Amino acid sequence: MTPRFLIVDGFEGQFGVNYLGHFLLTGLLLPLLNRTTALRVVGLYSCRLAAASVNALAGSIETRKPAFSILANPVHPGASPAGIRRPTRSTTVSALSGFKVLELCEDVAGEYCGKLLSDFGALLIKVERPGSGSPTRRMEPFAPRGTEGERSGLFAYLNTNKRSVTLDLGSADGTAALARLLKHVDVVIDDHSPGWLAGLGSDLDPASLDKQRPGLVLCAITPYGQSPPEELRHAEDLNVFHSGGWGYHTPSGASGDAPPLKGPGRFLPSYEAGLESALCIVAALYDREASGLGRFIDIARQQVLASRIDYVLGQMVAGDMEVSASRTALDLRGPAGIFPCRDGYVYIWMSTPGHWDGLRQLLGDPAWMKAFPERWLELDCTPERVALCRRHVAEWLKPQDKEPVAAAAQKRGLIAAAVNDARDVSASPQYAFRGFFAEVDHPVLGKLRYPTVPYKLSLTPACIATPAPLLGQHSGEVLAAVRAEDGRHG
Amino acid sequence: MAEPARGGPLQGVRVVELTKVWAGPYTGKLLAFLGAEVIKIESLESLDVTRIYGVSDMNNAPGFQAVNPQKLSVQIDMKKPEGVELILKLLRESDILVENLRPGAVKRLGLDYQAARKARPDIVYVSMGMYGNEGPLSYQTGYAPCFAALGGLSLMVGYEGQPPSGMNVRYADSTYGTAAAYAALVALLHRRRTGAGQFVDVSAVECMSSMVGDALMAYALSGTAPHCDGNRHPAMAPHGAYPCRDGDWISIAVASEEAWRALTALLGRPELAYDPRFHTLEARLRHLDALDPLLAGWTAHQAAAQLAADLQRHGVAAAKSQNSMDLVADPQFWSQGLFRDVQSGAGESKVIVGPSWNMSRPAAIAAAAPRLGEHNAYVLGEILGLPEKEQRKLAEAGITR
Repeated sequence: MTPRFLIVDGFEGQFGVNYLGHFLLTGLLLPLLNRTTALRVVGLYSCRLAAASVNALAGSIETRKPAFSILANPVHPGASPAGIRRPTRSTTVSALSGFKVLELCEDVAGEYCGKLLSDFGALLIKVERPGSGSPTRRMEPFAPRGTEGERSGLFAYLNTNKRSVTLDLGSADGTAALARLLKHVDVVIDDHSPGWLAGLGSDLDPASLDKQRPGLVLCAITPYGQSPPEELRHAEDLNVFHSGGWGYHTPSGASGDAPPLKGPGRFLPSYEAGLESALCIVAALYDREASGLGRFIDIARQQVLASRIDYVLGQMVAGDMEVSASRTALDLRGPAGIFPCRDGYVYIWMSTPGHWDGLRQLLGDPAWMKAFPERWLELDCTPERVALCRRHVAEWLKPQDKEPVAAAAQKRGLIAAAVNDARDVSASPQYAFRGFFAEVDHPVLGKLRYPTVPYKLSLTPACIATPAPLLGQHSGEVLAAVRAEDGRHG
Repeated sequence: MAEPARGGPLQGVRVVELTKVWAGPYTGKLLAFLGAEVIKIESLESLDVTRIYGVSDMNNAPGFQAVNPQKLSVQIDMKKPEGVELILKLLRESDILVENLRPGAVKRLGLDYQAARKARPDIVYVSMGMYGNEGPLSYQTGYAPCFAALGGLSLMVGYEGQPPSGMNVRYADSTYGTAAAYAALVALLHRRRTGAGQFVDVSAVECMSSMVGDALMAYALSGTAPHCDGNRHPAMAPHGAYPCRDGDWISIAVASEEAWRALTALLGRPELAYDPRFHTLEARLRHLDALDPLLAGWTAHQAAAQLAADLQRHGVAAAKSQNSMDLVADPQFWSQGLFRDVQSGAGESKVIVGPSWNMSRPAAIAAAAPRLGEHNAYVLGEILGLPEKEQRKLAEAGITR
């Protein structure tokens, strides 16, 4: 028996060496481990160690760095020359681990929704058509090299932590396999046209879901909902951006003949709808934990976009704010806007006397400002004053650099912000601090820094454990696991 | 009086809000629409600006009404120690706290995560800051357009070759509020399965980056940052907004050769499908300078809604670019329940923007935004179990009103 002694932290020595040491070492290595993906911590313990202690250790690691594999092998190294046997306990834990999601999606909205769930550890099985796979595999941006269908940066981004199973849903074998898979999943996500699900058979017909599969959470994402009128059958993200109210009013301050704009990039409406879907799915899962009941969730991209203008649209529909054909009906008055500067652009916001005073300090109390009433931003915001103010602000900003001038403005109570591009965002010290970018190693695209999620959960952070799958990469193992499971149950 | 049971997936969940303006209240609104009981803590000493900015009656402020339906309001002065004490008592009976006060404010008040978890160890605490709760820039504050500018989104909106113009000024807060609501529910689900609460730290700027995530991937792959490019799309042409009669605009997006042929047929110029300038996507993208004016010349004298319907019948993705009159009259919004009637505490009916979704067994949504302190008696009496005498004492001391 080891004599009793205390280590500096006050713990009993043998406990400290045999038990806490592993934890401490893992903790010290975590900063390094955090920079890798798909990592695995293997702990070797004496088989005399009670399973409970192993579990406790696994649990304490999980709270620091969930969503990766912890293998605890209660094998005494001295008693087992091979060192490592088959793991006796294996856990991968994040907030949604244990939930199984079947993704039938072939567009950005559904794939983004799936990603939001799989990045929290849900087991996500993505069904793809044999041969070509998801259409997003053929969308920009592309890696310079690699097989067609495996080099899309868009697909790689949208499908982290997923497993790809190829099924031909037009064949009897495919639908039979789908039916088998359905028995094992908690959630199904779809983003095809209305009616597509019912076309797969009664299993996934939204109309009979409560009877056929009362425990399933089924979410369908479409442009205009499940029963759109004839004239709303065809839509891309651009169209719902315009029918949902943002297009006509973008950019702010629009005038003349310049057309309304599409918004940023290609997929904002799809990302919005994917986020709304994930919200509803997790709410439904929360209820299902207690009730055992699933839900059908109908997400319309147009309505998601319109609901995002609620602060203004709510006032309009309540009769509290004027509606019109004006392109500026959603705008705020005032001189706020984007201004060119030496190294790019700065956004300036001004709406209160405090902001006005901040500007005065920054400009050194210039003569032109003296002609303005002190509370003009609130009370006397005429177009002439706005134009004059903007002209002087533009002149002042022209020779400045965006970061220093925004910082100086912040100090004096004027709201200013650098207008960043992807390069600036990628270099942000704040993003680095929060770990917004994570390096992911993909077999075709190689190592790249992926954007992750905008929320940090202290116990169960989102985590990219595996890169997007190659087409059909997991067909064999997923279908075999389903067969094995079915065999066990009868 | 307690709310009648409303059903919905979050029935039985209680949320406390220490929020202002739009983003934080939007988070609470989504949770209320999903069935949670959402209690907004307010006080005369530090009112949500949307109750008072440019309005005379704080209990009938249009902006506030728009973002706070189906919530309860309790009036507690959180700048007094007794008020903080009351709030901590309420947290003991609550599941989620959402806050979007200025950086450091909850700590100064004694309502930060450490204090909250002492009161309720398994609380899900949602902290919303422009840049998140910690880090070198977390002290900075701003409004929605700043989030979009900093997050890399504004720079991608604008006319080709011109300075960026950014999204409409209203964009950002509600998206940010939705991301916070999603993260809150992920944490709540984890709690239901393990018993553990946690701290949820949401960054508005990162939310905006998430809405252009593929552009960040493009930068990672190529080292080139995408800038604003008008209405261009790398895989669709035509793709854009085209002028119509009466100052209207129509959006048209052609994603396949089939749709392009259908469009040329409707245009009465089927030969354009074989024109070497336009016969493939690549060719059309190269000749947008010719294609867009050609299309605009055709759309300019037509009525947008009718043209959209014609294009749809031919299988072309098109929609009128809806102005605010169109939005308020959109039949889909009315038939699908996006617009719906609710009742104020005084019995007046009011139309609100309801949830975007439809779902089986939804939560009932019946109440308009609350008057300041409308639910004091319910919160203090029924939830906290304070006898009437004590409630009166608190009111006389100005802690509640």
